[in-house]
Amino acid sequence: MKKNAVSVLFAGIAAASLLAGNLVPVMAEEETTESADPALYDGKEVKVWVADAAVDFTNDEIAKFQEEYPQYAGVTFTVEPVGEGDAATNVITDVESAADVYGFAQDQIARLVSAGALEEVNPDYVDDVTERNDEGSVNAATVGDTLYAYPLTSDNGYFLYYDSSVVTDPSDLDKILSDCESAGKNFYMEINSGWYQTAFFFGTGCDLSYETDTDGNFTSCTTDYASDKGVAALKEIIKLAGSSAFQNGSSANNATDYAAIVDGTWDQDTIKQAFGDNFACAKLPSFTTDDGETYQLSGFSGYKLLGVKPQEDEDKLQICDDLANYLSDEEAQLDRYKTVGWGPSNLNAQQDDDVQDDAALTALKDQMQYDVPLGQYPSEYWDLAKGLGDDVIQGKLTADSSDDDLIAALQTFEDTCKSYASAE
Amino acid sequence: MTGTTKQNSLKKEFAEIGTTFRDGDWKTRISYLILGFGPILRGQFAKGFSLLAGEVLFFVYLFRFGLGYLAKFNTLGTVETQKIHRKTVYGDNSFFILLFGLLTIVIIAAFIFLWRMNVRENRNEEERLKAGKKLPTNKKVLASLLDDNFDKTLLALPCLGIFVFTVLPILFMICVAFTNYDKSHQSPTHLFTWVGLKNFQSLFSFGGAGFGSTFLKVLLWTLVWALFATFLDYFLGLAVAMLINKKGIKFKKLWRTILVMTIAVPQFVSLLYVSKMFANDGLINATLLKWGWIKKAIPFWTNPTLAKITIIVVNIWIGIPYMMLIATGLLMNIPADLYESARIDGANAGQMFRYITLPYMLFVTGPFLLTQYTGNLNNFNVIYLLSGGGPQSLSMAGNAGSTDLLVTWLYKMTVTDTNYKMAAVIGIMVFVVTAVISLVVYNMLPSVKDEEGFQ
Amino acid sequence: MAAPKKTSSMSRNKKIGNAVAYLVLILISLIWLFPFFGLVMQSFRSFASEYGGMVSYIIPKHFSLDNYKFLFSGETNYLRWYGNTVIIAGVTAVLQTLVVLCVSYVLSRMRFKGRKFLMRFWLILGMFPGFLTMICMYFLLKQFGLTQQGAVPGLILTYIASCGMGYYVCKGYFDTIPKSLDEAARIDGANNFQIMNLIILPLSKPIIIYTALTAFMAPWCDYIFASYVAFGTDKSYNVAVAMYRWVNTNDYQGYFTRFCAGGVLVAIPVTILFMALQKYYVEGVTGGAVKG
Repeated sequence: MKKNAVSVLFAGIAAASLLAGNLVPVMAEEETTESADPALYDGKEVKVWVADAAVDFTNDEIAKFQEEYPQYAGVTFTVEPVGEGDAATNVITDVESAADVYGFAQDQIARLVSAGALEEVNPDYVDDVTERNDEGSVNAATVGDTLYAYPLTSDNGYFLYYDSSVVTDPSDLDKILSDCESAGKNFYMEINSGWYQTAFFFGTGCDLSYETDTDGNFTSCTTDYASDKGVAALKEIIKLAGSSAFQNGSSANNATDYAAIVDGTWDQDTIKQAFGDNFACAKLPSFTTDDGETYQLSGFSGYKLLGVKPQEDEDKLQICDDLANYLSDEEAQLDRYKTVGWGPSNLNAQQDDDVQDDAALTALKDQMQYDVPLGQYPSEYWDLAKGLGDDVIQGKLTADSSDDDLIAALQTFEDTCKSYASAE
Repeated sequence: MTGTTKQNSLKKEFAEIGTTFRDGDWKTRISYLILGFGPILRGQFAKGFSLLAGEVLFFVYLFRFGLGYLAKFNTLGTVETQKIHRKTVYGDNSFFILLFGLLTIVIIAAFIFLWRMNVRENRNEEERLKAGKKLPTNKKVLASLLDDNFDKTLLALPCLGIFVFTVLPILFMICVAFTNYDKSHQSPTHLFTWVGLKNFQSLFSFGGAGFGSTFLKVLLWTLVWALFATFLDYFLGLAVAMLINKKGIKFKKLWRTILVMTIAVPQFVSLLYVSKMFANDGLINATLLKWGWIKKAIPFWTNPTLAKITIIVVNIWIGIPYMMLIATGLLMNIPADLYESARIDGANAGQMFRYITLPYMLFVTGPFLLTQYTGNLNNFNVIYLLSGGGPQSLSMAGNAGSTDLLVTWLYKMTVTDTNYKMAAVIGIMVFVVTAVISLVVYNMLPSVKDEEGFQ
Repeated sequence: MAAPKKTSSMSRNKKIGNAVAYLVLILISLIWLFPFFGLVMQSFRSFASEYGGMVSYIIPKHFSLDNYKFLFSGETNYLRWYGNTVIIAGVTAVLQTLVVLCVSYVLSRMRFKGRKFLMRFWLILGMFPGFLTMICMYFLLKQFGLTQQGAVPGLILTYIASCGMGYYVCKGYFDTIPKSLDEAARIDGANNFQIMNLIILPLSKPIIIYTALTAFMAPWCDYIFASYVAFGTDKSYNVAVAMYRWVNTNDYQGYFTRFCAGGVLVAIPVTILFMALQKYYVEGVTGGAVKG
């Protein structure tokens, strides 16, 4: 408890000294960071959170990192299995106890920045990081105009996996459904998720995006869901939900009796095991409305990022920056692909032969050209989209609903989306 | 009435403090400043030194720790977090200012109480000495901790635990309901501050993204759910207990053992499995589809009405065994001669149940039913593990779903949305609902109205 | 002539009645046991040679012990998590029983100033939902270093700190022990401490076992608060927290059958203990819960 009293006092003194002699402390700090004296770093502890599958890999990488940066030989690194999904929630609950370097899914970035849980990328590395990774991933790691994280993968998008003995034409949603229906198999797509739902809305040409300021606050929202395009998309979602083959879900692990599933690269192994020799994957299908209009399903392409937590100790921050940079560079990304199968965001690594030949990554790449790179969305958006999807699944919005009803629902959706941006 | 008596007793307190000082000797008077001074000089070391230690600890706490927080209590901190070069320097931590500010207030109150005890102790000692009686020896004072003051010995630790881990957190969260503590005002990076009744207003704001209609929906389902969960389990449990207790039924122990499996197996295992069983693509739907009994999966969890029914039904599976165990014990307590005389009067089994068993059970289990009901209002596990609160809807705000109870909604707000201010408001609402129901029902219970009833 | 006729028709009725009763009981038993049967069956489905995710059938195609081997293989910290849970449950059971017994004794046997107030105050406190204070409890524990690495003692502390408020059942039981016993002992010169130890406690075996048993069983199911306190430190998880991740996050593929196996291993000791002590549990509940 005393520690806190002291730190409050310290903060006060620091603030006062800042007011007194604006630049002096800054100059002093700069000098210390430039020296690479190992004694500066000895005994410091750095915590790293990665997904369970990548723990061993990360430990190996850290060993190599310490060889390459001998000044960090005395630093203790601990790697804990905390998945990208949990990481953000845990970091936000208590920034102080959270990992110093952690992987997270990009949809969480605005939330993390506004909670003060992400440090800006070290200015020394900004140019390098921007150059070596694909544009989408760099945008994903940027909030306002500031680069806040190191891109790790470019594989957080979704596409179609199917059983080639059941599905005859993977390019047409209606045919996939009828194939599954007649075979008594399931078709999985998580339509009550803001992540997968956009496949339809963006597919028909709708727009939904937010602007943020540098602190991660949402300043404005552009959307046109309540339009003919939106209705066409919503009708297709309703049609899909009405199929007896349809199951809501996107986790292959929890899916049963399926012949097709809209899912990402992370579930590849499970699906291979389920489909066996009939395993196949492709870009998402297209669908045709009653008016005869054909639309290609779109969607989000997403990224995994590596973030560094703000530090009270600048030397430790240096270690974290170096580590995050190391763990996300070309070599590490390629190694990560080879050991855990995560598709790289690094431009050079993407040219690697193995990566180019990967079936799932190829399907994802095909799909990417139709996708919208995932920008920043407020966390309420995901809840709201769940509500919209659940309204379809539970039959509040059905094939019998009039266009006016659908427009009304989409108008509510749109208005609520906009209300998140105006909120402080 | 009570107001004036309270005022009078307060006046009396002050009068007593005054007269004690006026009439007291110098030892007593110095004790007003130095606690325990009088008792120590009068040889009451155990009491005197405890009082003195209390005072020393209090002032050490106050000046080394408490005052700093208390001083910022009205703003909850003003120093923002800043960056010096790339280093983060955290500013005031609103969370700890609120928490330790509260603690300091409580400790100051406790010290005033201690000081009052000290005055009374001095007065008592003086009076005893004046009357020519001896003061108890220190040994006796200590020994009384195992006898007359045994209550204080036994309750000290539990009360301390409850204070630190229940009372203080509850006070804290009540305060949070009047602040803007949420995801964009999180300590340590950001400050939060008092906002008055704003959060309560947004809970009761209707239309648009307001919480009002969602809150009412969730509240209604919470009340209905608890009603079903309590009474269905109660009557079915009673029925099963009577069935097993029926004369001529063998293997009574076996039947009971099978039923109580649901109590013994941890719920996070069993309920999670049951939840998957009833899923649209789960075992039950897949089997029924295979047999051709249904054409399309039954939406056990995705249809709001059906989800509610499924939850209530699955809860029977969990709930009956508890009731059965209790009923089994109680049924044996019903005086056998009641049944005997009823039988002589020509009553049949139904009548005996209607006029003897049921009234007896309701009478004895009245308070138990009430606690069951309030417990079910907060029955987190069943909802969380089965449906997760879903399905959600555009017509519900704040991430709430059709099967969310107030308490599961509260959980979502705390963990998923880190919307602590609204979570605190919902928590207070849960308290209000529970308190009102308990108060109303408690006074209607037959066993409270008529304590002698069945004795 | 009339009398025997009546008894024979009655006994026929009785027989039919019993047959129906048996039928109902068998049906209930099947429903009650089915999910457990399913759980056990799934735990024998191999993740290597069959499939580790969800399936819509119940009997595995080949039985295997893969999942159990996996748990003991050291690939995960399963044994550590299990150990943590046993420690938490064991220590909590002992300490909580002590605290509850003390509080109940005082409230049942002694009359002192503030007794009614205390009971009413605790009753009111109990009306606040427990989850309300999670964030505050977390930071309180953190002040004492009892989160993350210290999560195991931290959890024990939270479980026992406020358990005094759960005195109802135990006090109800004590209330049924005649006061005349105390008075007799007091005449013999016993103090309150001795009365508690020599008179009341020896008569309270069922309620002691009941209290310890419920205290022991609760930590096995605690997912919510345990995960809140221990986040980010794999070694401090309890079984529920660690295994819940296997079925609820995308990081773990094909872990469903392993979850089932782990769940079975958790259920076995708790079930055996509960079955063995069931008699006391019943006596405790009926003696205390209802009359209190």
